[in-house]
Amino acid sequence: MEFLLDSLLSAALLVLSLDPELLSIVGVSLRVSGTSTFLTTILGVPLGFWIAFSTFPGKRFLITCLNTLLAVPTVVIGLFVYSFISRKGMLGSLELLYTQKAMLIGQILLILPLVTTLTVAAISRIDERYGRTAKTLGANQWQTAWVIFREARFAVVAAVIAAYGRVIAEVGISMMLGGNARGFTRTMTTAMALEYDKGEFTLAVALGIILLGLSFGVNLLFHFFQGRSRV
Amino acid sequence: MLYSISNLIKIYENRTVLKIDALGIEQNRIYGLLGPNGAGKTTLINILGFLESPTTGEIYYRSKKVVYSESLLQDLRKTVVVVDQTPILFSTSVYKNLEFGLKVRKKPGKERDFIIQEALDLVGMRTFMHAPAHRLSGGETQRVALARALALSPQVLMCDEPTASVDVENQAAIIKILDDINREKKITILFTTHDRSQAAALAHQILFLNNGMLTNGSRENLFRANVRKLEDKKIQLRINGGLQFILPDNKKLPEGRIRIVIDPEKLSLSKLGEDPPMENSATGKIIQVGEEKEKIRLVVDLGIQIILFTSKQAYRSQRPMVGDRVEVIFPPDSFRGL
Repeated sequence: MEFLLDSLLSAALLVLSLDPELLSIVGVSLRVSGTSTFLTTILGVPLGFWIAFSTFPGKRFLITCLNTLLAVPTVVIGLFVYSFISRKGMLGSLELLYTQKAMLIGQILLILPLVTTLTVAAISRIDERYGRTAKTLGANQWQTAWVIFREARFAVVAAVIAAYGRVIAEVGISMMLGGNARGFTRTMTTAMALEYDKGEFTLAVALGIILLGLSFGVNLLFHFFQGRSRV
Repeated sequence: MLYSISNLIKIYENRTVLKIDALGIEQNRIYGLLGPNGAGKTTLINILGFLESPTTGEIYYRSKKVVYSESLLQDLRKTVVVVDQTPILFSTSVYKNLEFGLKVRKKPGKERDFIIQEALDLVGMRTFMHAPAHRLSGGETQRVALARALALSPQVLMCDEPTASVDVENQAAIIKILDDINREKKITILFTTHDRSQAAALAHQILFLNNGMLTNGSRENLFRANVRKLEDKKIQLRINGGLQFILPDNKKLPEGRIRIVIDPEKLSLSKLGEDPPMENSATGKIIQVGEEKEKIRLVVDLGIQIILFTSKQAYRSQRPMVGDRVEVIFPPDSFRGL
């Protein structure tokens, strides 16, 4: 018990003193997760919108596949990307392994199905009368699509926030593809794993406190937007 | 002629939901579209509002044949607006809801502002201009939806049961709005309803739809009946297992269960006790009397509700009142098999 309290106290001091190493780790985490979420949003939201809005053979099968991908562990994605970008891999010449770019690729693959399926669900839930109403008011197809998207906006934002929460807390991809290089690819989760291996708990607990705080913030946002989407 | 329709058929999943041989809709008139649930009223409204295409058939709109390509339909939709039975407002303010169609039509900002205020004035909802649309009641939503349509100055307004989901106060307000805009703005209106008296009060012409087909008004008394041939070249007709009539066999009604229509224009009334009971008559109580155009419409409860029309002159001579017991006479030619 004393050990835990000591660790928590030291961690709190580390957070309050704005320790440079701690800030560097948090910075890398936020930057990589933010970028991957941003890029996934650009890809996944239009993809989800297109899947929901259009009819094509195999649509149900595609949605089932995307739903299946939601359950893929991060280490499997890490391994999959590794096989492509390692020196012997198909894309080995690009020298992506153990870079933030490699982490981005892995994280995008991780949350693309999540953003896409949640967008499909958000758009599909929108009453079809919105589209009809927009049409009868003279809207063209793009304007009609915009009306539907606008009605689903809160649910789509909630999907993006959920995706951000997933990447900021993942460890497998960052470890396997980033390599946990100090000041470069070391994220909060990989740093915590390393500190645990070393038996140094102060930094690990400090990072845990920050991660928990971030998760709490993300969840607050998520529930706010989910609540708005039910209005 | 604003619309000219010929041989229109709409099929959903191998089921013909609409089959109209010919229909013309004139400009600046109000049309009431009556019919039971599933008669095809909404489908017809959607087709005339260019939101759905017919499976086969031709529609001429303002003397031009309608071609079902999305880009051409978009232009047509800018002159015809459909207001749904339970209209949906975008989840933003009332003002933005009305602004949407005007923005689509690229109206400048100041003009938009003026039009929106005018349209909301027309439906008595100006005070709600900046209210969030999702906070409005059913009647208010219906009125804002009407204002949203009227702001676009359409040539045709299609309303699918405009008073179905609103209270009595709002019903009267909506009927008045539709009447006013037809007279003042010369907008052609086509509305669906179950309420015959409402249709009669508002519409210049009533169209009846039954099983996807346009019928004349006389098909209002539509029943299931059992037909049985008798020995003396007569047939026995039993309606809904109750009322029974003996008719000459020249009616050519098939034996067994059929659907029949009793023409309300051919029925007549006599007050009980005035004359001896006649063949093929039934007694019952008058439950409704109303004026419909140039005639008097009566609803008589004979175990089943029978509607009949009588001239004003004939009505004045008898003056049957609600609650009076009367004898309804069914001449053989009032029955028609379907």
